[in-house]
Amino acid sequence: MTKMNRRTILSGMAAAGAGLAMPGIVSAQGKYPARPVQVVVPWGAGGGTDATARIIAALLEKDLGQPFNVVNRTGGSGVVGHSAIATAPADGYTIGMITVEITMMHHQGLTDLNPMSYTPLALLNIDPPGVQVNASSPYKTIKDLADAIKAAPAGKFKASGTGQGGIWHLALVGWLTAMGLKPDHVPWVPSNGAAPAMQDLAAGGIDIVTCSVPEAKAMIDAGKARSLAIMAPERNPLFPTTPTLNEMLGIKYSVGAWRGIAAPKGLPADIATALTAALKKAYDSKEYKDFMSSRGFGVTWGDAGQFASFMAEGDKAMANAMKSAGLAKKA
Amino acid sequence: MRLSDTLLALLFIAVAGVMIGLTTTFPAFPGQKYGPDLFPRILGTGIIICSLLILLKDRRAPISDRLPALSLDPALRGKRQLISFLLVPGSILFYIFVADWLGFVPTAFIILSGLMLWFGVKVWRALLIAVLMTGLIHWFFGSMMRVPLARGLFMQMIYGG
Amino acid sequence: MAAISAAFGLVFDPVVLMTIVFSAMFGLFVGAMPGLTATMATALLVPVTFFMAPVPALGAIVTATSMAIFAGDIPAAMLRMPGTPASAAYADESFAMAKKGQLELALGANLVFSVVGGLIGVGFLIAAAPMLAEIAINFSSFEYFWLACLGLMCAVMIGTGDPVKGFLSLLVGLAVGCIGIDPAAGFPRFTFKNVDLMSGINFIPTMIGVFAISELMRGAVTADQAGKMVQEKVGALFRGIGDVTRRYWKNVIRGSLLGMAIGALPGAGADIAAWVSYALSKKLSKEPEKFGTGHIEGIVDSTSANNAAVGGAWIPALVFGIPGDSITAIVIGVLYMKGMNPGPTVFLQNPQFIYAVFIIFILANLLMLPLGYAAIRGARQILSVPKNILLPVILMFCIVGSFAMTNSPYGIVLMLIFGVFGWFLEEHGIPVAPLILGLVLGEMLEMNFMTSMIKADGSFLAFFSRPIAGTLGVLNIIIWGVLLWRAFSGRRGTMAVLEQVK
Repeated sequence: MTKMNRRTILSGMAAAGAGLAMPGIVSAQGKYPARPVQVVVPWGAGGGTDATARIIAALLEKDLGQPFNVVNRTGGSGVVGHSAIATAPADGYTIGMITVEITMMHHQGLTDLNPMSYTPLALLNIDPPGVQVNASSPYKTIKDLADAIKAAPAGKFKASGTGQGGIWHLALVGWLTAMGLKPDHVPWVPSNGAAPAMQDLAAGGIDIVTCSVPEAKAMIDAGKARSLAIMAPERNPLFPTTPTLNEMLGIKYSVGAWRGIAAPKGLPADIATALTAALKKAYDSKEYKDFMSSRGFGVTWGDAGQFASFMAEGDKAMANAMKSAGLAKKA
Repeated sequence: MRLSDTLLALLFIAVAGVMIGLTTTFPAFPGQKYGPDLFPRILGTGIIICSLLILLKDRRAPISDRLPALSLDPALRGKRQLISFLLVPGSILFYIFVADWLGFVPTAFIILSGLMLWFGVKVWRALLIAVLMTGLIHWFFGSMMRVPLARGLFMQMIYGG
Repeated sequence: MAAISAAFGLVFDPVVLMTIVFSAMFGLFVGAMPGLTATMATALLVPVTFFMAPVPALGAIVTATSMAIFAGDIPAAMLRMPGTPASAAYADESFAMAKKGQLELALGANLVFSVVGGLIGVGFLIAAAPMLAEIAINFSSFEYFWLACLGLMCAVMIGTGDPVKGFLSLLVGLAVGCIGIDPAAGFPRFTFKNVDLMSGINFIPTMIGVFAISELMRGAVTADQAGKMVQEKVGALFRGIGDVTRRYWKNVIRGSLLGMAIGALPGAGADIAAWVSYALSKKLSKEPEKFGTGHIEGIVDSTSANNAAVGGAWIPALVFGIPGDSITAIVIGVLYMKGMNPGPTVFLQNPQFIYAVFIIFILANLLMLPLGYAAIRGARQILSVPKNILLPVILMFCIVGSFAMTNSPYGIVLMLIFGVFGWFLEEHGIPVAPLILGLVLGEMLEMNFMTSMIKADGSFLAFFSRPIAGTLGVLNIIIWGVLLWRAFSGRRGTMAVLEQVK
């Protein structure tokens, strides 16, 4: 930035009154980003969302020449971070990684935020849930398990994978409903995420874990667990031997946890376009693809428009699913 | 500031009572025997029992051993000492309310130099150390550790945005 | 064998060695700053390691975390300001030693026994990882519930003074931990629609508040008088260590083994290891009455334990891809990224990489001696700074450190509230350490109780139906029984005395 510019802004600021951030001026200069950008992540350091965001941030930083700092705003089942993104100034200097929870939390009455509270930039990843059992479990196929669940009295089988009302809980509920069972036929044991649930599965504490297959990968590789199916339209090329629910049971149910980048609502269009273009470049990079396949994460691209309609659809589906499962807040 | 053990116990009993009272608004956990209200209630009861034990012990102690209902630490009796004492939470409050608007750099400088001057550090020394420490913290936390320190007016002047 | 020599070749490469030295210094600095934790250091290294070869990438993390856990001891002893949560258990004890003029002995012990503990932890990681991981993986919510109960006992054991007040402090800590979204049903408790409160009470700003801010408030009263925060120079650091080692070598071994084992349990890390080993040390000590007055014994146990836990946490991470603590949660991501997929086969697929990590682990612990020595020497300069300059600077570090934990002013607000509250509690003879322990263990306790009840359809007997859970449960009942009985009979004793006075 030249000295000339700075002086122009200083006088501009004096005129407008000190203390006002002026995103308009920044974008009018045509030079975005002019300073470090914050990438807010609603989940803790070490998780898959954090890792994905850090890779994307490193790639954006290389491309756009300004630091992209990952800032973890954790807690409140994701409410804290999501609201930090939504309430930040829409100047392009705070963006964030939003996750499937944004289509769920407001139905539970945890927050008023919903997908409309953001300027969507890009969808980067979708992971469908799987159905995992302990390696020593007598059920070798999803059909064996489904028959056993149907035959057993309600409450005999226990499942886990995430917190109460989380995405994998809804996956279970959706699957049970599709089989014509009650949503609580298999009670949900809340857990602090997929890793503790998988450990509990290995320890024999629960019977089924409906987290995504990549999250279960280590335990499967270690010979402690088995993945019987994934709830997706097609098989995952990274786990080609795991069948889909549709193939095995003729159930066309599919949901998924997704991650995308969004900015506060009202982001100037030129910045939004620039960011989406940079994100596309990062998405197409070898580093990103290598990273995602090393973790077994699915890669799915959606530009700003596709991301917006994807979220709107997901939000509607979640509303129905949560209402039927009794997880939505009674209005 | 020290309350007598009796008052202290009553205070904790009151807080625990409010806590237990609030749990009555908690919803049940569908399909489960125990809900989100179970633990706060157990803990509240435990706090009340402990407080009652403390209360009982204080009531049974000989009058001469009991503290007055409210007493002030002798170290805080002087006006200057009291101000020094209050300056610690005061500075933190100042940072909470001002940093966002003013920016990290000037706020930290004001707190550092202000406190050092109050504690009797020579003026030039206080200012120099305040500048150096502000710079060091900003470099290490802001740049190295990438903590999003408040930008505020200060950074807007420098970066213009 | 070929793999081992290949591993040595990978490690003793100028770039790798340079990386190790730099990350060691980085780790020391981060660990010594309040609010900057070993976990944060690791998270920041992730994007850097992304563009690195596997061995320097993992080497950087291993070195930085080992150093950070030790470095947290330095400000804990000098200023009663634990640099990382792992030093909180014995911050009071080592600060009391410093006040008694034994700062050098406290720091020397911290350094030497951190190294020993670290090496023992790594030893087990190398020798017995698959076997130990096999045991750790059998722990389900029933076992964890009993473990959390045992952990709570530490609060009763470590307390000095009135046990009722120690217990009250623990209960307050547990109650404060209830704020936020409850771990089982997902209902926001005591949040009053506040978004920050929904995230709960972050325990690191709380810890900075109750330990450091309350101390600063007390110190401020006399800050304008000439004087130092601690009236002590660091002399010969290793003098007296020989004596301590001769006297307490059993404590070193016990602390290290316990630390390694706790580290290996998923979900419990270096901080819980330090608490438990400190409490056990007091329980088994011949002179428990000296604990809390600046006595080295408990520090020996717990400073060995928290560094041993660093290595222990890698055991389930390498073998099953299950994080032993928040640091290894990040490490697992890096392992995947580098094609070293965790699992029993990790030792077969790329053995030279794993051996290289082990060698770096040992190297990092050995390097801790000279670098730690230099760090303590450097920190000594801090003690020669007059109090009226040091106090404002520490305050600023506390503010920024708390901010860094939540990346928002919420952390500072928590620090302020708990600083004043901690001061208030200590004025009334209520210890603050149990409060922090309650905050650390609260969620673990409730979560595992609730999930166990769901699994068992509400039957209490299920808590004894699994072999390990049953053993732990009986152990719990016996120890708690003895503790309560003693407290009760002790109480009757005081009552009797009081009545005589009457």
